[in-house]
This record gives sequence, C-alpha cells and structure tokens, in this order.
Amino acid sequence: MKICVCVKHVPDTAATIKLAGDTAFDDADVKFISNPYDEFGIEEAVSIVEKEGGEVVIVTIGKEAATSTIRSAMAMGAHRAIHVKTDGQFLDSTLTARALKAVMEEDGLPDLIFTGKGSVDTESFQTQYRLAKSLGLPIVNEVSTLTLEGQKAIAQREIGGGEKQVLELGLPCVIGATKGLNEPRYPKFPDIMKAKKKEIKEMALSELGINEADAKVTMEKMEAVPERSGAKMIEGSVDDQVTELVRILKEEEKVI
Amino acid sequence: MDFDLTKEQEMIRKEVRNFAQKEIAPIAGELDEKEEFSEKLTRKMGEIGLFGMFVSEDYEGQAMDYISYIIAVEEIARVDGSQAATIAAGNSLGIGPIFYFGTEEQKQKYLPKLCAGEGLWGFGLTEPTAGSDAGGSKTTAVLEGDEWVINGSKIFITNAACDLTMGVTVQAITGTRDNGKPEYSCILVEKGTPGFKAVPMHKKMMWRASNTAELYFDNVRVPKENILGKKGDGFHQMLQTLDGGRLSIGAMGLGGAQGGFDLALKYAKEREQFGQPISKFQAIAFKLADCAMEIECARNLLYKACWLKSNHRSFEKEAAMGKLYCSEVMSRVVDHAVQIHGGYGLMKEYNVERFYRDQKLLEIGEGTSEVQRIVISRFIGC
Repeated sequence: MKICVCVKHVPDTAATIKLAGDTAFDDADVKFISNPYDEFGIEEAVSIVEKEGGEVVIVTIGKEAATSTIRSAMAMGAHRAIHVKTDGQFLDSTLTARALKAVMEEDGLPDLIFTGKGSVDTESFQTQYRLAKSLGLPIVNEVSTLTLEGQKAIAQREIGGGEKQVLELGLPCVIGATKGLNEPRYPKFPDIMKAKKKEIKEMALSELGINEADAKVTMEKMEAVPERSGAKMIEGSVDDQVTELVRILKEEEKVI
Repeated sequence: MDFDLTKEQEMIRKEVRNFAQKEIAPIAGELDEKEEFSEKLTRKMGEIGLFGMFVSEDYEGQAMDYISYIIAVEEIARVDGSQAATIAAGNSLGIGPIFYFGTEEQKQKYLPKLCAGEGLWGFGLTEPTAGSDAGGSKTTAVLEGDEWVINGSKIFITNAACDLTMGVTVQAITGTRDNGKPEYSCILVEKGTPGFKAVPMHKKMMWRASNTAELYFDNVRVPKENILGKKGDGFHQMLQTLDGGRLSIGAMGLGGAQGGFDLALKYAKEREQFGQPISKFQAIAFKLADCAMEIECARNLLYKACWLKSNHRSFEKEAAMGKLYCSEVMSRVVDHAVQIHGGYGLMKEYNVERFYRDQKLLEIGEGTSEVQRIVISRFIGC
C-alpha cells in the first residue's frame, strides 16, 4: 500500500512571533516544527505500512528550511519524501492543494492520503478538502479512529456533545487526522541517522506549472493580536450603574 | 574553524528536547519529591536510544559520535538532573567499561540489553573510606581455583540497586605491584550472585529520582572469566572511564545551567515590580547577561573536549576543564536564577529550586572540583 502524508513545516505555537514588515514575521529565532496534526497522520501511515507493507511518502510544500521537518518524519519511519519549495511561509490553500495534486499525480496516485485536520499557523482548514475535490476522492476530516478493511476505510470523528460519527469510505480517500488517532512515536536515534540517507526529491513550485502570483488569497497585513485592556468596574447603585453603562456604550464605545 | 553541528546532531538535540519536555518535565518535580526512581521512564529513554549511544551496532548500540551523546545528556539535564544522571552514569560508567575493555563474550552477553535500556549496570569505585584517594580502597578479589572471591564494600554507586540493575563492575585489589603499591583489576558481578548485596541510598539532597546504592561483597564468588580486560588493568580502566565520564558530568552542568537560565529569563520577563518587568532592571539584566556569557563559554569548552575525543586526540586536560567549568558555571547560574526568583525561588512549586539542589553534586561526583584542579595543574606543568 502506498500512503502519502502531507506535512507542513510551521512555527511552534509557543514561539514568540515578531512581525517584520506588513506581511511577514522574523523567523530567525523562531522554532519550527511539524504541524502537530500532521504527525498523527505520519504515525498512522507508518503503523499501517509496518503491518501491511508498502511505502509512506511525505509531501511537503514549504520553504527550504522545511527539510528539518521532513527528516523528522523520515526518522519516524516514512520511506521517502517530495519537497516542493516555496519562497515564503505562506501559500494559499488553493495553490497548496494544486501543488499536492500535481506531485501525487506525477509520483503515482497513492492508496491513501493523510493530512492534519488543519495547520496551526494559518488555520484555514481548507487544503485537505480542496485536494480531495481536485482528485475526486472522498474525505473525512478530524478523524480520531481509523480502521482499514480491504478497500474500505472506516473513520470515526467526534461531532460534539460526546457523539461520534462513523463513516465508511472507499479507498483511495483523504483522511484529516486529529488528536486521539494515535500517539506519535519519538524517533529512535538510529532511525534519525538512517533518515539522512533517505531520498528527498526536491522541486520548485514553477516546475509543477504553478505560479505563486495566481494565489486566490493574498496576505494584506499581519498584526499582533491586541492585548485585552483591563475591565472597568462601574460603581454606585444599580440605577446609577445602568445609566453609566448605557452612557459608555452610546458615547464612548458607540455600539448602541 | 567550523562551529556548526551536523544535521544529525541538530536533530538529536531537537528530538531529545522534545522528549524531555513531553515525557520528563511533567513528572520531574513529583519524582524528585517522592525520591522515586522511575523504571517506566528509564525504559522510555531506552526506547528512543539514550543508552549505548556511542556503542557500535554490533552490540545493538546507536553508533553515534560522542558529541551527539553529550548533546543528549545536556538536553535531558536542561529539564531534570536525576534523569540525566541515569543516562550519563548508564552510558559512561555502566556501558562504557564493558564496551571499551570487555571480551567479545562479555559484550555480547550484556551490551544488547543495556543498550536497549532494559537493564542498568553500576560502576563500583568509591568506598566509604576511599573517595578522592581512590588508591586507598580496600575491596579485594582473590583468585581461588577458577573463581574470584570478592570482599569489601562500595558507596554512592549510581544505577546499582534498582529492579533494572543487572550487575556491577567492581574495582578491587588483586595483588601487589612491583613497586609495592596495590594492583587493581575490574571484575563483573551479576545481580543475584550469593554474598553480593546492593542497598538503595535515600535521603539525598539532589538527584533524588536517580538510583544510588551501597554495595556489599561478602565472599562473593564469580568465574575467573568475569575479569574486565587483563589482571592489573583496573587502575587504568578506571582513569579512562572517568575521563569520558567527566564529559558527561560537564554536559549535566551545561544543561543544568541552561535550564536554570531558561527559567530565570522567563520569570524575569514575566515578573513585574515598580511597574515594569524585572528583566528591565539593570541589576537583573546584568545577572542574566553574565549567565548567558558563561553558558556560551562552557558549551564551547565542553564541545571542544568532545571534538578532541571524537578525533582521537588527547582530551584529558580539556575534559577536566570542561567538567570543572561547566559544574561551576551551573553553580553560579542557578544561584542567580534563585535570586532572580526571589521568595518563589525557595519554593518547591518552582523548578528552579530543584536545579539549585541538583547542582551541588556536580562539584563533588566523578572527581571533586579540587581533584579536577589537581589534574589540570599537572597538565600545565605545575
């Protein structure tokens, strides 16, 4: 079985982000990691292949430095990788999905595709749907339990209120992985050493006929989330408090 | 000159840091408080490859270079001294002598399990009456027929009295040299050998989640073949083992200093007094600047010593310097770190308190700071 796992190289959510210019941030001191949800996908793919045979191919669309994330995935047991290089950190979901599709078609369509349920940096939650649609494949996102039975995948997802939805899909399909699917393993040191010998095929976005200028979404501005100002306590009798509140809402905040 | 680590060394650092933060950090305080050695955590550390890092694949080691090993110890120590002690002693003192001096049969018998973290091995050197004066030890081994008969006791032996312990290497007097001084040899003693008793030591100030033992040998009989290397090699083997061990103790000082500094910097940026974070006050900022500078120096010195070892050059002087400097840097850094934390730094709820205690061992174990100064002074020709 051939499984493709789409892995994104993202800034650690615990990192301190300093803005640099209008649409970028200074990444010099920022720690980058594999998108945590993608790691559930890597673990699932590797354990399926360990049981059933086959290969796990990592597909990453990202800047040069994403190699470290790809090597980590290989140290977890993926066999080879394809890295489509971009100039910056941000590529919109449409182009990302197009690049993933082009890579998979060129490499040979897999039997199963994993993505994370979303990426922790841009949180658009679109790429996996766009990829599935463009390949004409079924998709389930936020999968927390997965079993394969022949040419079928049985996927469970939480739908709130403690309820679970169980879905059956034909293979090939796209699975958006989330917490609960498994416990991603820590790479063993010898596997880290072996990972450096595994193949990473590198290509430019333009080699896939994709132009970054065609993005449907462009970044206008990046801003730090404003710090919340402190609460203001209104004193006095209930009548006074209500009168003052209404005055603030009308005159200062101008919301009513 | 190239100060860059290799891609693999960078990855080892990243993966060990990740492991330490996820698996060790959440329970380090509790294990310390309960003075509990965790077999489960030790096995987990074994699973990712933290034991047998410099041992070849022939014995199921991880076949990595010495700097990678030191980086791994540093990253564990950045989070917890006790677990770093289990790793450093396990590799340098438990696995090291068997790997470097053992026969093919001994290596095949013990190393695969030790390298998987499924077993631990102690190194019995220090005795109740022989610390820095290793030549004053009294434990003896007498060859009777095909067996060594061992009598004596050892103290402060890491990894030697837990369920995972498989045995110990014990240094004993096996005769008299031509110059009239005692002749030493190292002998392997398996757990469960009649007359051999290992008793865990409690009420420690530091490294409370690591296993420390007192060893008793009462007419312990082991086969003649259990000798490590040749009869009379014991003193040399001990010196060589301690040279390597110093690098790992240095790594514990470096990692501990970095960990203490991380805590202090974070706290100083969060804690506000007189209307601003205390990191903005020169009194605090200068302390932190000094810490950052000393840690940088310590890292460069220690890595250079490892580089010398990896390149089969003489490294004994630099190892002594690295051990001494890193442990004293940690002492100064954690002192500043507790001071910066103020009253909170005295409370167990704050990890910096544990770093403050764990530091003290590094100036005493595997050759005190004074002994390191003797070693260095001899190298420079005093």
